[in-house]
Amino acid sequence: MKYEITYIQENCSGCLRCQLACSRAYARSFQPSAACIKIESRGAEYRIIFTKDCVECGFCADNCLFGALTKTPKEVTA
Amino acid sequence: MIKGGFAGRILHVNLSEQRTWTEPVDDALARDYVGGLGICIKLASDLIPRGVEPLSPESVFVLGVGPLVGTDLPSSSRMYAVARLPASGTVGWCGAGGYTFGAQLKYAGYDHIIVSGMADKPVYINIEDARVDIRDAGAMWGLGIDDTCESVYRDLDAQAGVIAIGQAGENKSAIAMAFVDRISTLGRGGFGAVMGAKNLKAIVVQGSGGITVSDRKRFNKLSRSLLNSFREYKYLKEWQELGMLKAFPMVPIDVYKRMKERRTACVSCPVGCKEVVRIPDGPFAGLVKHTSSALNLFTPMMYGMQDPWEAVKLITDLDSYGMDMFEFFGLMGMARELAGSGVISLTPEEPEIDLTSFSSMSAWAERIARRQGTGDLLADGFSAVLEKLGNEAKQHAPALIKGIHPYAGPGAALPWDRFGTMELGQVLDPRGPHVGSGGSPTYFAIRPLEVFPKHLKRMGIPENVVDRILGPDRNKLHVGRLLRYSHAWFAMLGSLGICARGQVNRFYNADLCAKAYEAATGIPTSTDDLRKRVDRVWTTFRELNIREGLDASKEALPDQWFRESGFKEYLTGEPLSKKQAEEMKKEYFDEWGWEG
Repeated sequence: MKYEITYIQENCSGCLRCQLACSRAYARSFQPSAACIKIESRGAEYRIIFTKDCVECGFCADNCLFGALTKTPKEVTA
Repeated sequence: MIKGGFAGRILHVNLSEQRTWTEPVDDALARDYVGGLGICIKLASDLIPRGVEPLSPESVFVLGVGPLVGTDLPSSSRMYAVARLPASGTVGWCGAGGYTFGAQLKYAGYDHIIVSGMADKPVYINIEDARVDIRDAGAMWGLGIDDTCESVYRDLDAQAGVIAIGQAGENKSAIAMAFVDRISTLGRGGFGAVMGAKNLKAIVVQGSGGITVSDRKRFNKLSRSLLNSFREYKYLKEWQELGMLKAFPMVPIDVYKRMKERRTACVSCPVGCKEVVRIPDGPFAGLVKHTSSALNLFTPMMYGMQDPWEAVKLITDLDSYGMDMFEFFGLMGMARELAGSGVISLTPEEPEIDLTSFSSMSAWAERIARRQGTGDLLADGFSAVLEKLGNEAKQHAPALIKGIHPYAGPGAALPWDRFGTMELGQVLDPRGPHVGSGGSPTYFAIRPLEVFPKHLKRMGIPENVVDRILGPDRNKLHVGRLLRYSHAWFAMLGSLGICARGQVNRFYNADLCAKAYEAATGIPTSTDDLRKRVDRVWTTFRELNIREGLDASKEALPDQWFRESGFKEYLTGEPLSKKQAEEMKKEYFDEWGWEG
């Protein structure tokens, strides 16, 4: 299943749970540098960026408890 | 034997020799001392020379994080340092929310850093995975914490963890702390001065590696289940909305909401108690402050300051200097009395000491941080001031334990009056007065006894011991006996790397800790094993301090606690007598099986 991931950057707390979930699943290691979602901090702001390797599995959103990431199933087309 | 959790290496930095090297984390050390706080204490016990002067080149400090730090186990980012501290003379644990530093250290490949020697000019340690440099910090020296961190962030293209000191640390003030990622405080008791004395301005770490765990399936199941408990917690949103003000509503919520910018969190924490605020109006409008809690920012109001934005600005300045706000206000209160009674004379250019006045406190913060005029005397902390001024000054001193002002209790910043484990713990933590290690259900005043057994069980206290703490009819509370297990619980959480704050550790229990540790590290560990190991950690900590001169005279109960409007007995609210508190101390030692 693929998901549409939507994000609200101002809700991001910088906890990196999204990166930990992504790298756990795909790098078999807790390794933010290997995650397909990047959280860049700029002063008091966080920027959420998805890399081209993101497979839209939604694990990142499942692990966000701050309401910064949410997922909705993508419609399957023939 | 170690199969995961640990990064696996200890980094040594000798600043005198400008040399760095690593060694593997020894299997037996990991097994016997768990990790994080436990290993920091053991390494400190082995490496800190007996009787060393805290600010001498021979002094050594150890930093470290536990085996769960860097994983996704919720709220496992805690970091520790252990050093001989100048304010107390004790070897103290210094704890902080690791924010990003703790996890970055692990991703760079290290569990601990041991720093020895003294650089001959200001330096910072730069760690990028296996590459470790001791770099010139001439351009940073003289900067406050925020500016130091900003200067680091500006030059990097990826996130970094930073431990830095401000001007107070550079000038070796006994009330100087280091700050982690400009947010979390590390080292009440003068850890900032320990770094400053080594000419060490900062430690910067960037890690691109990862942490694996021994039993992925089991670990993931535990972590997922725990995260769901956080998710379903009915007060989660409120905690995320209000931070520490949920527990301690020191200012009206509308005042807080006017300045709140955003919630921030340590790596892996789904609650988040750190925050970014912005002063909305007035002369300091637009000032942005990153803080470990908005609660701290209003501390000056506990001393009578009226304007919340002036309070925020003052704490911003104190933090930037890298100064302990509780010791600052305690010292200023004593200095006011000393000046009023003529024991000290202020110079003509020095402002009157008025704890309710922003301009007065702001000026004095700078004078202490920069050691100007009378600030030079005060910068050395209570013990040095009293020693220098003699008996005439002693009558003006506040309650002191091991040379530091206990910040919870009558006449202190946190005017908690029920005498629970955190309050008694200020006397019996070998490091000096700190409430952090004394957590228990008494964290909340006037909690009904009926809820104690479930929390005691959670802390790993065996059922037969619960009877000793609450009495066979479960209608009494032996605070001293309970404190013995608070210290063990604190050592457990700290050695694993789990946050000890109440809103987080409520989701943890000793069984879960043992299972998570075993799944992460592969080191066979039952709950009973883990209990024994953390008892070893705290016992080693106490023995280390006894070796360094800790005795009963240094753990005397302050008389000020038992005067009018003093502490109250936890259950009844009746005034607490010194005799009762002495009995609690005896019970504490009895419960450990130690001689008091």
